[in-house]
Amino acid sequence: MSSNVLHKPSNKKLGRRKAKQTLVAYSFIAPNFIGFAVFTLVPLVFALVLSLLEWDGANPISFVGIDNFLRLAKDAQFRRALYNTVIYTVGVVPLTIVCALALAILLNKNIKGRNFFRTVSFFPYVASLVAVAAVWNFMFSPVRGPINNFLNAFTGIPFEQLPGWGASKDWAIITVILFTAWKNTGYYMVIYLAGLQGINPELYEAAEIDGANSWNKFRSVTVPQLYPTTFFVTIMLIINSFKVYDIFINLFAGGDNQLSDATRVLVYQIYNTAFRSLNFGYASAQAIVLFVLVLIVTLIQFRGEKRLG
Amino acid sequence: MVKQNRKGIAGRIFIYILLVILALIMLVPFAWMLSSSLKLNKDVFTFPMKWIPQSPRWQNYIDIWKKIPLGIFIFNTSKLSAIVTFLQLITSSFAAYAFAKLQFKGRNALFLGYIATIAVPWQTYMVPQFIMMSKMGLNNTHLAIICLQAFSAFGVFLMRQFYLGVPDELCEAARIDGLNEYGIWAKIMLPLSKPALSTLTIFTFVNTWNDFLGPQIYLTKIELKTIQIGLRMFIMQYSSEYGLIMAASVVALIPVLIIFLSLQKYFVQGVASVGIKG
Amino acid sequence: MKRVIPVLLVIALALGMFAGCGQKENPPAPESKPAAEKTADAAPAKDEPAKAESVNLKWAIWDLDATAYYNPLVEAYVAKNPHVSIEYIDLGSADFMTMLSTQLSGGADLDVLTIKDIPGYANLVKQNHLEPLNSYISSQGIDTSLYGGTTEQITVDGEVYALPFRSDFWVIFYNKDLFDKAGVDYPTNDMTLAQYDELARKMTSGSGADKIFGCHYHTWRSAVQLFGILDGKNTIVDGTYDFLKPYYELILKQQDDGICQDYATLKTSSIHYSGVFYNNQIAMMNMGSWFIATQIAKVKAGESLATNWGIAKYPHPDGVQAGTTLGTITSLAVNSNSKNKEAALDFMKFVTGPEGAAVVAKTGTIPAITNDEVVASITSMDGFPTDDASKEALKTSKTYLEMPMHDKSADIETVLNECHDNIMTKNTTIDEAIADMNSRIGEILK
Repeated sequence: MSSNVLHKPSNKKLGRRKAKQTLVAYSFIAPNFIGFAVFTLVPLVFALVLSLLEWDGANPISFVGIDNFLRLAKDAQFRRALYNTVIYTVGVVPLTIVCALALAILLNKNIKGRNFFRTVSFFPYVASLVAVAAVWNFMFSPVRGPINNFLNAFTGIPFEQLPGWGASKDWAIITVILFTAWKNTGYYMVIYLAGLQGINPELYEAAEIDGANSWNKFRSVTVPQLYPTTFFVTIMLIINSFKVYDIFINLFAGGDNQLSDATRVLVYQIYNTAFRSLNFGYASAQAIVLFVLVLIVTLIQFRGEKRLG
Repeated sequence: MVKQNRKGIAGRIFIYILLVILALIMLVPFAWMLSSSLKLNKDVFTFPMKWIPQSPRWQNYIDIWKKIPLGIFIFNTSKLSAIVTFLQLITSSFAAYAFAKLQFKGRNALFLGYIATIAVPWQTYMVPQFIMMSKMGLNNTHLAIICLQAFSAFGVFLMRQFYLGVPDELCEAARIDGLNEYGIWAKIMLPLSKPALSTLTIFTFVNTWNDFLGPQIYLTKIELKTIQIGLRMFIMQYSSEYGLIMAASVVALIPVLIIFLSLQKYFVQGVASVGIKG
Repeated sequence: MKRVIPVLLVIALALGMFAGCGQKENPPAPESKPAAEKTADAAPAKDEPAKAESVNLKWAIWDLDATAYYNPLVEAYVAKNPHVSIEYIDLGSADFMTMLSTQLSGGADLDVLTIKDIPGYANLVKQNHLEPLNSYISSQGIDTSLYGGTTEQITVDGEVYALPFRSDFWVIFYNKDLFDKAGVDYPTNDMTLAQYDELARKMTSGSGADKIFGCHYHTWRSAVQLFGILDGKNTIVDGTYDFLKPYYELILKQQDDGICQDYATLKTSSIHYSGVFYNNQIAMMNMGSWFIATQIAKVKAGESLATNWGIAKYPHPDGVQAGTTLGTITSLAVNSNSKNKEAALDFMKFVTGPEGAAVVAKTGTIPAITNDEVVASITSMDGFPTDDASKEALKTSKTYLEMPMHDKSADIETVLNECHDNIMTKNTTIDEAIADMNSRIGEILK
């Protein structure tokens, strides 16, 4: 952004250079964009248009205007799904950020076995979801599972009073939040590590000269310097939490791929409306609500980044 | 001085204890998976549990091989993941360079459009997409999954964030030296962004490797299926065969583990060698 | 780092071996779809004089390896029609009908379609994916009365779109060893719900890992809710559901008293009903007759430890005839866009007809066309319980479909499933859930 200020070529030259640069820029973007446009954008736009229609996937389409959105306003099932998704997001985002940042700071220190610990923390992220969900499912099992058996053996609390984890409507969301944090913290830790290593050490030295202690250094150097990283991490976390589907299906759904009230999330609701009730229009309307929610969050963050950057 | 030292040692011990606990939390499920994969169904849930089964049942690993064509599944998944990752790396880093380092009309609007689509769940447009792909004759081909996965907006977003941190002066200097933009991308940006590229590699590879809804819809022929749908179908069909499920899960982990271990150098050391402004 | 390299090498080597194995195994690996292909390969040579054009049919199915009758059916058909080869498209049992509808909407080239449930069938009919069969039935002289009235139950606006080949009904499976050990008499073929409840309570014992549950309800809605329709006074698509209350009360009480396993646990841990039965953890289980074939096979394979078992007729409410039970049909249909419609229809005719029924019955599965002979061929199977009561249990007097045909059945089913889930997990009270069903389904039916 600063490069244009450095040189001051004549207006005509600037114009030509600009045009050429635009052309070059588009040539850079084209390979990805063409694939992206054909395979994502086109179907996406079609899906968005669907929200104003009624369509069962085969029969003629009828235009229903904003009926689908009016129906949303009084759909208790949708509200429940929205509520569950928000609760899940509110739990996952801070928990993951705190864990990831803490781990990154610990593992940025010069300690023995650092590489080992980094590898270990990242491992759950690369592991196959289907496989680890199956493991956690068995481990969380209220009566037979090792977790409750362990708690029972060491605290003496009878099984009936121990958390029911995924099987209990009160604990289900907490269970999935813990699982998600376990699965993904390593990934965000790596991003934070990259961020931490980009911080100029002189900033810390300067702070030390000013007599700052560790906490002060963290607050006045680490946190502000990591802002772009946190921006990225927060956006990705919020988006991924709003879009969550696979984790819930693998953790909670039985053989029929169905989720109960306590664990029904937005994308599941959308999928169900589209494929089980064959109401693609109404499903698209729900998807648009989801999209707008995420867009708002993204825009707020984006403006925040601009102000700070 | 002495006091400070002691404080340092105490802190260090504390850090190690913390790390060991964390490592345990991260690893115990895998240990359990491995241990259960060598047990009979009825022994999987005994408590107190035996981490090392008295007579390990290697038979489980032979049995799964007979029940599902794991070899084909692993081959298919590896092939898809490798191709998708390669395309994703090239096209994303290419596009990201323009978004991060070039001035052009419509840049911000285009970029916002890009990240906006990250926010849309795939499930919302998978039907129109499926219809379109089928019309193109791509149903039941691996090409469908490649087209689906290789051009994501996420890769562009991630690479752009990394490129933003590379000082503009570097590019400017290269331009003065007579390098054109493509040259700058190839000779300066690419080598500089090794850590970012390896992050994206792992991310894309892992995502493609672990994706199941896409392959489930597009790949219905047995010889085309990937390990995740294979595994999920296996779990659904043999839901009470805990030992076998765990053995299959272990096998599904191995290839990702290899990729990860061979690239982790770039994470663990490489990240430090380049000045990336977070 | 240095130490990692050898490790990597070893792993890479191991992977190479895996890949090697995989490749070597490639040919036998599609073991799963063997006979058809093999015969097909041999077919052209054998068939050359006849010059029949070879046809490849794609058949949408689920759980290929866990289902006994696909291969025998295909083998029997291909033996008679060597120019046809049949390819399985396994869409998995979870969400099968949804997957099928998605595939068809995308124009997938499937020919023969298995219809797993009525709501899914209703959806496919609405989407015009299924070939109407009336004219084919009359031109081929197919006698639909053989199906015991089931084809009428899947008729939509006077048109039939599928023919059943399997007709399952619900019975009680019980573990004789557990009953013997407890010194309790086996369940009888004329058992009221109250007697069944009493028996289940008598059979419950132990705790922790040794706990034996008197009965077991799988997480399907039909395993609990549908006791309510056995008296024939109500159906599940009526729009009012107050009649379900006493049945839910009965089962919830059992759950509270630890007579059966907790619903939520079963559901989230994806515990399959077969596992608990195999492992001698439950005395009685209400389940569909499809479990007979599986149980026989698993006992032979040594996977089911419940080797001494029996079958009894479904428990019924007071004043209802013994042998009244729930039924579910599995049918075949033909994709209306199939390029091999004629061959597909012919295959469907074979599977759903008397010849197919004989093949299906031989695998211990109850075909849609049943008569004494078919029942006898099942009860005389090696591994079927030898006592007369178990044989008698396969005779039904009245069967109600789990989900009757209704053009809104998919939506109704969704609501019923959700409310069932809420009741069983105690998310809501029975009264609240019933009020919810009444209002939401009332809305759907409007």
